[in-house]
Amino acid sequence: MRKLSITAALVVLAVLVTAATGASQAQFKPAGVKNAANALVRCGTTRTVGIAYPATGDAASIGVLQYHWASFFQTRWNRAHPRDKIRLVQGDTQLPNTAQALAVAHRFASNSSMLGLVGPAGSQEVQDTVAVFRGAGLAIVSGSATRILLTRGKPGDPRETPRGFFYRTVPNDGQQGDRVSFWITKKLKRTRVYIIDDEESYSQGLADQVQGNLRAARVTVTRDHVSQQVSDFSSLITRIPGNTQVVYIPWQLSSKAQLFYTQLRAAGKSAVVFGSDGTFDPSTFKGAGSYVSAFPVDYNSAALKAYKASHGGKDEAFGLPSYTAALVNAKAIMQACKNGTATRAEVRSKIANMKLTKKESLLGFPVRFNSKNQGKQAGPGDMATPADFAIFRIGPNGNYNRVG
Amino acid sequence: MHHLPLLDIFDTIRQLGWGGFFELLRNGIVLGSVYALIALGYTMVYGILKLLNFAHGDIYMVGAFLGYGVLSVLGGPLAPTVALVPLIILMFVGAMLGAGTLGVVVERFAYRPLRNAPRIAPLISALGVSFFLANSVLLLTQGQRYNYSAYQLGGDAETGLPGPLVEPAFSVLGRPVTVVQVLVVSTSIFLMVALTLLVSRTRLGKAMRATAFDREAANMMGINTDRVIASTFFIGSVLAGAAGVMFGLYIGETYYFMGFLAGLKAFTAAVVGGIGSIPGAMVGGLLIGLTESFAAGYVGGQWSDIVVFGILILFMLVRPNGLLGTRAIQKV
Repeated sequence: MRKLSITAALVVLAVLVTAATGASQAQFKPAGVKNAANALVRCGTTRTVGIAYPATGDAASIGVLQYHWASFFQTRWNRAHPRDKIRLVQGDTQLPNTAQALAVAHRFASNSSMLGLVGPAGSQEVQDTVAVFRGAGLAIVSGSATRILLTRGKPGDPRETPRGFFYRTVPNDGQQGDRVSFWITKKLKRTRVYIIDDEESYSQGLADQVQGNLRAARVTVTRDHVSQQVSDFSSLITRIPGNTQVVYIPWQLSSKAQLFYTQLRAAGKSAVVFGSDGTFDPSTFKGAGSYVSAFPVDYNSAALKAYKASHGGKDEAFGLPSYTAALVNAKAIMQACKNGTATRAEVRSKIANMKLTKKESLLGFPVRFNSKNQGKQAGPGDMATPADFAIFRIGPNGNYNRVG
Repeated sequence: MHHLPLLDIFDTIRQLGWGGFFELLRNGIVLGSVYALIALGYTMVYGILKLLNFAHGDIYMVGAFLGYGVLSVLGGPLAPTVALVPLIILMFVGAMLGAGTLGVVVERFAYRPLRNAPRIAPLISALGVSFFLANSVLLLTQGQRYNYSAYQLGGDAETGLPGPLVEPAFSVLGRPVTVVQVLVVSTSIFLMVALTLLVSRTRLGKAMRATAFDREAANMMGINTDRVIASTFFIGSVLAGAAGVMFGLYIGETYYFMGFLAGLKAFTAAVVGGIGSIPGAMVGGLLIGLTESFAAGYVGGQWSDIVVFGILILFMLVRPNGLLGTRAIQKV
């Protein structure tokens, strides 16, 4: 009797798994692409763009920066283009809750007036939702998903997004990692480095890249990890050997970098702290003598000054690529809407051929997207050269000075 | 690829030496003091109502924000308008009174109406209050993290030199114990002694013990149990408010989600110590703080939560009533 029950349970389980797999495959099959992508949308004077970002949850503090910048763009764009306005529809992905990101993706996909998309923020979210967006004919333009594999596969690891459906307005981990390791080995000439990732995919990808590069350059590297939830770094700092020259922290949260810096100094350790673009926030991370890799943003531009003025003196630069992502969408939609109607396929085609000047992008370089592999790290959907990171050194008064 | 930490532990112990051991011990005591204060709130409420007040961690978070608010109103960390000692006292007073009041309000509107409902109802209500508080603060603060900047507090804003809070008060084995670490531990000890005296030597304390023992009987003896329960919430929340300011001064950061993990760990401390037992909460807090510190130091930061919550499971299996808890007597 017992054997029979177990067999019956296994059969039911197998049926359920098969049904679920079949359902998910049916849901993501690209057969729907043609219909959704080619459905005509009447443009009117206000066009809809979705923004998928973590408004709540663990990563809300960085998600709101992305929304602030996208919203700042919306205000400026709508003022300048009264007949081609955009409307941002928000979707809270609750990063790292990818199930929620998937729910947002389905909601956006079924919104027939939506022509463009900013986000999702996390690489894992992109990987999990791209099939839904592809099915709906929408292109993802993310301002923070930096995993290399999203755009560039390697032997044994295929590219994680279909071509023409994923673009990013942020250089990928490979581009940033190469820049950082070059700076540590060739410019600072340091040989003992302690790398601490924050256990998030953004951080781990970057840390892996830098660790690999540094070890190849015969630098002594110690790797450690700390949860993004941790604020008390005292025990972690105890583990850092006194002769460490550089501590590399590719973290998403600039406030954590500042906490780490102050706790490191309070513990009497003098290693140079090196942060990634996630820690790039002159209003928060002010560790004198530290280095940060980030976009070569022009802080004297009128747009940046206006943003700071309207956000309590904070530039919140981590969210800036979402401004650029919103701009890419708005321009593509405007071009596609020239005859009064547009399809998602048309918008995707315009995004693929988008060109922004350095002044327009605010990132410190002009933007256009690769259609094929470029160099060792970039692939189709990545920004083409000269998109790269700059290196900033933080002065005694907290000022960021570009040094490379 | 993470390799097994066990292989590295002995190497790390040898590398860190006695100096490192002392640093981890110091860090654990400081952190444990904060957990102990939060755990007291859990254990007091459980002792009197048999309710797991999951909103308690969020009251601690609100306390940290209130302390930050007082600091900001008085000029902020880089340019305070009052001297350092009165500033810190005012931060504590503001946070403790504010958190205490919030605790009473939560009890009045979320728990009292459910006093005679099935036990699952106030538990769900507690979860609801927790999410309500965390997301209200999220909306108010836009998810931003605020820094007490204790490193600079009272220091020189021009040169960026650190303030007196991070100066060494004394050293052991060449490792400094800073002023703020002494402040956190001594304030915590003071508050725990005060609570112990209140519970054991005052009329209110006697009423609290009576209500915890048998609420109905206490009622019949003329004790206003509603008032006693409200007072318990007030006192527990006052301690959480103080813990919030301590955390802000020691660690620096306050944000809307900080109550979740701290609350979980403090709850673990209360259970490990023996939920319902005040000395148990203190011992449990210290134990969790020390475990977390040594696990992070010797095994690695990514393992500390696994170790802490592993201990909770172990205690539940081996000693379900906790270290100082007593076995409940079944009434016939």
